[in-house]
Amino acid sequence: MSEHDDLDMQIAEFVLGTLPVDERKALSARRQLDPALDARIQQWEERLAGMTDDIAPVQPGPELFAEIERVLDQQAAQATQPDNTASVVTLRRQVNLWRWSTALTSAAALVLVAVLAFQPAGAPESFVAVFQHDDQQPAFLLTVDLQNRQLNIRPVTAEPQPGKSYQLWIKSDELGPNPRSVGVLGDQMQLDQGALKQYDPALLREATFGISLEPPGGSPTGQPTGPAIHGYLYPAGDGQSRGV
Amino acid sequence: MRLESSTPGAKARPPSGAASQDYTAADISTLIGRVAKQDRAAFAELYKATAPKLLGVVLRILKERSWADDVIQEAYLKVWQRASLFDAGKASPITWLVSIARNKAIDELRKHPAGRTSTDDAMDERVARQPTAQDQMEDQQEVRKLNQCIDQLAKERQDMVRLAYLSGWSREELASQYQQPVNTMKTWLRRALQDIKGCLES
Repeated sequence: MSEHDDLDMQIAEFVLGTLPVDERKALSARRQLDPALDARIQQWEERLAGMTDDIAPVQPGPELFAEIERVLDQQAAQATQPDNTASVVTLRRQVNLWRWSTALTSAAALVLVAVLAFQPAGAPESFVAVFQHDDQQPAFLLTVDLQNRQLNIRPVTAEPQPGKSYQLWIKSDELGPNPRSVGVLGDQMQLDQGALKQYDPALLREATFGISLEPPGGSPTGQPTGPAIHGYLYPAGDGQSRGV
Repeated sequence: MRLESSTPGAKARPPSGAASQDYTAADISTLIGRVAKQDRAAFAELYKATAPKLLGVVLRILKERSWADDVIQEAYLKVWQRASLFDAGKASPITWLVSIARNKAIDELRKHPAGRTSTDDAMDERVARQPTAQDQMEDQQEVRKLNQCIDQLAKERQDMVRLAYLSGWSREELASQYQQPVNTMKTWLRRALQDIKGCLES
């Protein structure tokens, strides 16, 4: 059997449901990143779907949709009022662990961080952190695709500061006591998507992130020198919809 | 007359109102498109139209009502999040929805194989095709063609394919039921799938 046929049969068994768990998981993860594979899986789903025609529908209880709506309401509320969420408590603890000397002295600029439990469509291993200037407004949104080690940073309320640069930092116990620079945001407030490539996904999952306002081109010392805002990666998607 | 399994949880209640019959595939596609724009009313309508179908599929696999309810809840939350990824050119809307729910059900079943009350009752449900009320959401011609193709397999292999697809049986469970090594079962299943594909394309 050729490799192509073998993959085809692996896909077919995935859809049938008999593919062993480890292969199933691997294929399931790959399809998120590989549109061609995803299309082939959908073809097999289409081929076999007719079998469900034999199954009599079962009317769900009225409470089930109410529960789904409740979760959606909760997610929407979390997005607008991050302070009410349990994740923020975790986050504040994380922030306390991260002591940036200069940030601590500039009390006015030292900020709270909150997290949006928010699923970017189609990104399975994505984590989102929101950096807040204060309790009200998110400043930046950071998405990290752990599988791809791709990052995406988007200013939300943050605006370019004349004669200053925003710089993204990562801190993890494994990297030592000091934050490390991930990169300096460009004029369009963007950063190279591959800037986290060198870090292990497990480390990224645990790491704290921060953004500081630095002289143009970034910190001259290799450490944050300006006012900082911090964030913590929070699993978005499946992980947080469980157990509700 | 539909055969009922001996497990109370697996009994399919008669669909009340059978809302799904009022919707065509195009209607469901339109609803998914509106859900992609975060339209909650469309989401409620989509749920009403399709949840009985999805719950039937999931319950057949998991057998436990509360377990199936949990999976349905997760499935619809995922539908809400992923509606923008639905591509009507690649999948029929009902297949797309059913696949989300079925995948979750099978993942759950593999995670907690002991959670299912029994696999014996699935043998009772194995039953050859049971035509249900005409379901506008599915292309009846395609359903007929698939069934013809499955019917061309040896009887045992028809059962294996249906037990796997409809009731979530694993290779190991099938191997033990048919007293074959797991690898033989893998070969048989793949040959059956290959035959079905060949037949569908013929």
